[in-house]
Amino acid sequence: MWVDNQYSWLESVRYGVGYLIAPARQTAVVPLSIAEWMSENATLRRELLKENKILAARNLVLERKAQRMASLEAENMSLRELLSASDQVDDKVLVTSVTAVDPDPYTQQIIIDKGGRDGVFVGQPVLDAYGLLGQVIDVLPFSARVLMIADSNHAVPVQVNRNGVRAIATGTGALNELELIYVPNTADIKVGDMLVSSGLGERYPKGYPVATVSSIRNTPGESFATVKAEPTAKLDRSRHLLLVFTDEAGRVPPEQLWRNEG
Amino acid sequence: MKLHSIAYVLLALFVAFVLEHFQLPEVIDWFQPAWVMLVVTAAVLAAPSVFGLWLAIPLGLMLDVEKNTLLGLHVILVVMHIYLLQLLYRRMYLFNVLQQSAVLFLMVLAEQIIHYWAMAVMREDMMPVMLLAPALTSAVLWPWMYVLVYRSLQRMESA
Repeated sequence: MWVDNQYSWLESVRYGVGYLIAPARQTAVVPLSIAEWMSENATLRRELLKENKILAARNLVLERKAQRMASLEAENMSLRELLSASDQVDDKVLVTSVTAVDPDPYTQQIIIDKGGRDGVFVGQPVLDAYGLLGQVIDVLPFSARVLMIADSNHAVPVQVNRNGVRAIATGTGALNELELIYVPNTADIKVGDMLVSSGLGERYPKGYPVATVSSIRNTPGESFATVKAEPTAKLDRSRHLLLVFTDEAGRVPPEQLWRNEG
Repeated sequence: MKLHSIAYVLLALFVAFVLEHFQLPEVIDWFQPAWVMLVVTAAVLAAPSVFGLWLAIPLGLMLDVEKNTLLGLHVILVVMHIYLLQLLYRRMYLFNVLQQSAVLFLMVLAEQIIHYWAMAVMREDMMPVMLLAPALTSAVLWPWMYVLVYRSLQRMESA
């Protein structure tokens, strides 16, 4: 918001007013928590046992992967040392859950139950279990607002996992579709390609899955191909999200790089 | 104005903020009524000398933070709402509930339009909007609000 950007003291007004509306917000979540509590407590024992079995099996598979991961990470680090590149350490995360979806139909935003009190900051990347979900745009004491990657005002720099071709994925306003902009007709992108965050915007950490390419259309005479992709994060279903704390996350690039002159 | 009726208005405003935060199913997304404006209307009609324009600053700021709009946009909208009510309240007393609903419909619609203008200035993309929907649901809900808030306040004051 323009005025909010110009006068930074307004940010503290917004933060302070956040304390005022916090009780109402927490009350609004009560029915949701009750419903969750009911469904948790009214599950059949048989179903719980079944779920437990599935989770145990899944855990085993993941454990195995994690074991390999440790050695791979070590190997990766030593290779990077050989290349004298900076090493990438595992990111610190904070688990949060979604308390509300913004009723405003213009935007794709959600509200989470962690806020400034928990160290959340503006620009912080948010993931779910499947991929990149969005970034924090507004922090209140006990809650924060997350702009999802599908919002039409949002763009994230990505690269194709297969060959490293870079592109920018913008939201379309529809939850199940992103669009890659400025992709040349000749670019090596195929349907089914996995797009991961490239970390070039210095806002999102590098290497998290963002979307899979779902369709490519080359129009003769147009300079760019129309590439659609489907977000890997379950934007409309995930209830538990991860807030990522990294050194590079949330850094805003120097102003002269992005502000239009005149 | 008695202390417990002020407490009642505060409670009603609290409930209005809770409802404002509730999400509706996607199909009726657009029909989110202006809950806070409804409560403000009832409160101002019940005690126009107490609930003046000063109410706009705290309520407007809280609405701005709740809806993440430009800080001050809802202050202007609430100011407009209360100002119109302060002009009209003597007339509103003579109206029956349906006529009051109609007035409220126009007021909420005007606020929706101003809200939309501000958004259109701030954002590049123009999206299809249903400005009529919240005004419509607000007007439909007014009779209940009239009984629940306005009438109870009157009863409290006269008791």
